[in-house]
Amino acid sequence: MAAMNVAGAAAAETAITTAAAAENAPRVSRQRARAIQKVLMYIAVLLVVATVLAPYAWMVSGSFKETLELQASDVTIAEQAPSWIPRNPTLRNYRDVNRVVPMFRYFRHSIVISVGSMIVSTALALLAAYALSRFRFRGREAYTVSVLATQMLPGILFLIPYYLIFTMITRSTGLPLRDTYWGMIFTYTSFALPFSIVMLRSYLNGIPLEIDEQAMIDGCTRVGALWRVIVPLATPGIAAVAIYSFIMAWNEVLFASVLTGRVTRTVAVGILDFVTATGANWGGMMAACIVISIPVLVLFTAMQRYIVEGLIAGATKG
Amino acid sequence: MPQSAESRIRLARRGVRANALAYWLILPAVLAMLLVHYVPMLWGFYISAHDVNLFTMADWMHAPFVGLRNFVDGFSAATTTGARALRAMLNITVYTVVTVGIGYIIGLAVALLLNQQFVGRTFVRGLILLPYITPDSVAYNVWRFIFQSRIGILNRYLVQWGLVTEPPIWLVGPPAFWAVTIAAIWKGWPFTALILLAALQKIPHELYEAARVDGASMWQQFRMVTLPQLKNVSISLILMSGLWSFNSFNSFYIMLGRDPGVAAEVPSTLILREAFTNLKYGLGSALSIVLMLVLLIITIVYLHVTRGAAGAEEV
Repeated sequence: MAAMNVAGAAAAETAITTAAAAENAPRVSRQRARAIQKVLMYIAVLLVVATVLAPYAWMVSGSFKETLELQASDVTIAEQAPSWIPRNPTLRNYRDVNRVVPMFRYFRHSIVISVGSMIVSTALALLAAYALSRFRFRGREAYTVSVLATQMLPGILFLIPYYLIFTMITRSTGLPLRDTYWGMIFTYTSFALPFSIVMLRSYLNGIPLEIDEQAMIDGCTRVGALWRVIVPLATPGIAAVAIYSFIMAWNEVLFASVLTGRVTRTVAVGILDFVTATGANWGGMMAACIVISIPVLVLFTAMQRYIVEGLIAGATKG
Repeated sequence: MPQSAESRIRLARRGVRANALAYWLILPAVLAMLLVHYVPMLWGFYISAHDVNLFTMADWMHAPFVGLRNFVDGFSAATTTGARALRAMLNITVYTVVTVGIGYIIGLAVALLLNQQFVGRTFVRGLILLPYITPDSVAYNVWRFIFQSRIGILNRYLVQWGLVTEPPIWLVGPPAFWAVTIAAIWKGWPFTALILLAALQKIPHELYEAARVDGASMWQQFRMVTLPQLKNVSISLILMSGLWSFNSFNSFYIMLGRDPGVAAEVPSTLILREAFTNLKYGLGSALSIVLMLVLLIITIVYLHVTRGAAGAEEV
């Protein structure tokens, strides 16, 4: 308003500047509108940030609360209402993360299974993606479609027959599959394959064919060209796929809830032990949540750009 | 380039050999996917037509053939399982429509917001990925904690602001369904926002300039330029997240346990329980096949409708 008054006064002062002032007034109000827009935008941004962060704040806060505080808190009593800031912050939940629930053991199982799936599925996906990217062969289209189709099918559809096949093989050959590392690695490898193949194929498509040809003219075999020339060039894509497989195996719940037992229970399922029908240790649960998120966060941050690119490519081209 | 017949033959032969190599390269991946996806799927059809249960499972390949009985039992409203299965189908449909619909609206709004210039934009863009990359078992356990009746932070505000007199028990009965839905929306929208943001950045600036020259308002620019340009991405995005949502298991299992109750039952939890708690593998298989068929039909209808709409528009 003040700015407009100034503009108005200026217009009254001399007739010569009237035209200029008339132009000034709407510009000033446009600036004001823009300023309001800007404020609204920042409010919206803050709202988004708060919505995203609130559950994490609650998780971190819970992980530092004493069991006593958690048990005594009550929303109906003002003085005991659950608070964001722990009354007596404690590290006990972290120290005791392995005390009642064998979290370290679950962690070890998850590491073995995730790293195993990561190595096997990345190797298989690289070979298949290279074939899809570099060769035309009969059945190529059908194969690509079948790869994409498996991503759409519900996991529960495979689980029952898969479990029964496991028990049958074990019965007839004595070979244990359920609750074994390699049974789980094999399972998760296949889960990670479809997306890994699609993602790596689009990455390899970005590497010019001439590079393989040059390597082969220089005396490399096909496989030699793949190993010595393409693999080094495709390292970022390969790393992204590897991390995707690791995270997939680390997070999987449905198959883990049925196929893993004492020997291979993973963190994704094991963490549920903190809150059961017989007792609820929310502080421990939140501490464990933070601990098991760390590998995922570290890996994802390291490879964020490539994974995001791959996801976008998968969603827009898939 | 003139080529001698000989060299052409040699090239062709090399092509054949190269193709053979291609088969060797895809073989391991094909085998793994066959053994984990396609072979079990085929056996699933066999199991669904047989009475595989606690007593017959030891030698399930010789379980008695029962034809379509598992399908009838699984979906007739007269049986407990059937009633639950029908309810589960209804629940998962509502859950999918709500999570995908609201997730899309929020995702689009945030994508438009993040497409603007502001201080800290890169930071916020990275930040919104957090819910997406957080493991399900972490995110849904945290939401379970938020929704706790006596010690949860949500009820604290509901009581404090006088919105309720008695703190609601969120994770039991009908509210449980909505609690899971809210958590799933929180977990799901960042992926939508991420994809839509990438698509927004690919829209050529000239389109907006042309629209402005023609005197289009912001709203008209959004309707006439932005939305049509996002159409293809949106179609695959909605289809994909719809299918994922329809297959949901983790959110319900983690927040509500093995038996979420009738009001929050979904196909995955029901099938898991029928098979691995009640040991009715045949029934579970039948239910999962119906689930797959429903997904297939939805996909086909959806693609047909959206393709048809796109075709009509071009004419």
